Amino acid sequence: MTVLPRLLIVECPALMAPFPVPALPAAPGRPEEGEGRRLRIFARMVDALAEVCPWIDPVRTGVCTLPIRGPARYFGSEDAVLARVIEIVAAVVAPELALPGGAPAALARLGVAEGLFAATLAARSEAVVAEGGTVAFLAPWPVDVLGEPDLADLLTRLGLSTLGRFAALPAADVLARFGASGGHCHRVARGLEGELPGWRMPGMGRRLVAALGRELALTEHQPGFWGGVSAAEERAAEVFTDLQRRLGPEAVASPVLMGGRGPSDRCHLVPWRPAGAVVEDGSIHHRRAADGRTRPARPVRGTERPVRGTDRPVRGTEPPWPGRLPPPAPARVVACELAECTAAERSPAGRAAVAEVVDDRGAPVAVTARGLLTGRPVRLSVGGAPWEPVAGWSAPWPVEERWWSRGRRRAARLQVLAGDEVARAYLLVVERGRWRVEAVYD
Amino acid sequence: MFDPQRVKLLADRVRPTASSQTRLLPVLSPLAALLPDGGLRRGTAVRCGAGAHGGALSLALALAAGPSAAGAWCAVVGVEDLGALAAAGLGVNLDRLAVIRAASPHWALATGILVDGVDVVIVAPPPRPRPSAVRTLAARARDRGAVLLVVGERGSWAADHELVVEQSNWHGLADGAGRLQARRVTVVASGRGSAVRPVRQELWLPAATGNVVAA
Repeated sequence: MTVLPRLLIVECPALMAPFPVPALPAAPGRPEEGEGRRLRIFARMVDALAEVCPWIDPVRTGVCTLPIRGPARYFGSEDAVLARVIEIVAAVVAPELALPGGAPAALARLGVAEGLFAATLAARSEAVVAEGGTVAFLAPWPVDVLGEPDLADLLTRLGLSTLGRFAALPAADVLARFGASGGHCHRVARGLEGELPGWRMPGMGRRLVAALGRELALTEHQPGFWGGVSAAEERAAEVFTDLQRRLGPEAVASPVLMGGRGPSDRCHLVPWRPAGAVVEDGSIHHRRAADGRTRPARPVRGTERPVRGTDRPVRGTEPPWPGRLPPPAPARVVACELAECTAAERSPAGRAAVAEVVDDRGAPVAVTARGLLTGRPVRLSVGGAPWEPVAGWSAPWPVEERWWSRGRRRAARLQVLAGDEVARAYLLVVERGRWRVEAVYD
Repeated sequence: MFDPQRVKLLADRVRPTASSQTRLLPVLSPLAALLPDGGLRRGTAVRCGAGAHGGALSLALALAAGPSAAGAWCAVVGVEDLGALAAAGLGVNLDRLAVIRAASPHWALATGILVDGVDVVIVAPPPRPRPSAVRTLAARARDRGAVLLVVGERGSWAADHELVVEQSNWHGLADGAGRLQARRVTVVASGRGSAVRPVRQELWLPAATGNVVAA
């Protein structure tokens, strides 16, 4: 049903600037006042909250959200997370604003609900909405909380004064009568959509980094110079986080090398994550700032495995892999696994990788059980493209995996040079008589 | 809304600092002769091309290897099937390499964001990118001091320099025997300004060990 993330919202009224921010006249001699100072305190607050969860989303100055599911599992309950967040906010903000630290309730309003819109309303009433109860929570609110005065006015005159009544209208009718923006509001009211346009201050992430940059300069701490995370790392981390926020966590990946025979076994892409932890050989490693190397979080069998950072594949230091493809490695590797050879043919990328190899009589070439070709490859076609003459080919590499189990697989790899005038180099794999391009030496 | 002066101040803050302020990124020595300054000048775009025989991606990775070894961050956009093993072999530090897996309509958005914080962006645009997107990205890279390495065919990008793999010969493979061992290529460099005279360089790309060596 609803797929909106369960968010904890933290609102700090003292730091919340009216939005859009009015241009402040700079007070003579007090450049610290106003928006810049609020932004810097907020930047430090967000930085401190990263202890609870690294995925903090600054919405605008003084307001940020974080997904609460993970931290709640870690701290034991949502209440424990709320208590910890209040402590952190009080520790950072109270001294700055010269407010009594004993009254944290005045410092921050917290709310928990699904989606930014519901979470903001939850913060207004300082409510923790039960899981799945977001739609019911939204129902009694008046329609003007949508921030669309014209729409709210019209709805109220129609007698639809609450979000619940508005939500009960059929979606098609709302779209026909109120257009796309009305339809969006309707989806928000029904808990299908998490936020309304214009609720975020644009470029918040970069402004925070800028604010923190100034903060760090003021505290005479130059990262990078003293062996910490360098400014370049931070900038890169910032843009990767930004990309992941816009295009999804899978959009930014780090390549990780591991053992295996074929090129697609030996290299895996894992979603990029901020400095502090990297995934290697399937386990989490913690980065140690002192020497920049990584240490396994738990012992990995075969400790002679290359350590990331010095993990250029060095011959002789890795365990032997019989049947491993010798270097040089191909520059392009079609990612689908050997096992999914037939399934992959259903996807566009998989179809583009399907190959045909024939001999001089036009008969398909296959590999025998003894690992020999049944004929001389003469022509190659990739992904249904026109035939290309084969200029050279290697002996087949038999690949036999898991011969001891029922999941056994028999295949063979073949390097082929093909092209009309100039030859391009391919790595083909054949399994059950079907050929596929596994890699291209681009 | 915002005081433009303040916005500019903030923009200056997030700009490359100190060590990355140097305008020239070093490249591996076999490639230095192909570039007019002997390195990759920040803010420029270099197109890496090849004919049907391929080699453009290897060339771009080899160009990125020098900055990567010197500590620069690299990102790859539009090459979802990147063979990271080959990248590592050519000298790219995988610890500072990000592979962007964005749906193809998002390539310009992703590239535009990346140039803000990554020193070298390898981008394979769609066959005919919109000229306005190309102009915007070039201007943005120039402003942020990032290097764009464009993997694409002639006419896809009005780059400052063009390096094209003109000849390519694989060694080591016979009819049914041997294996691919090394590729000998001729790279021709041309460009604007100080690089109007084309330069040729013979390279092993990759050599038998997987790296790039002058032939």
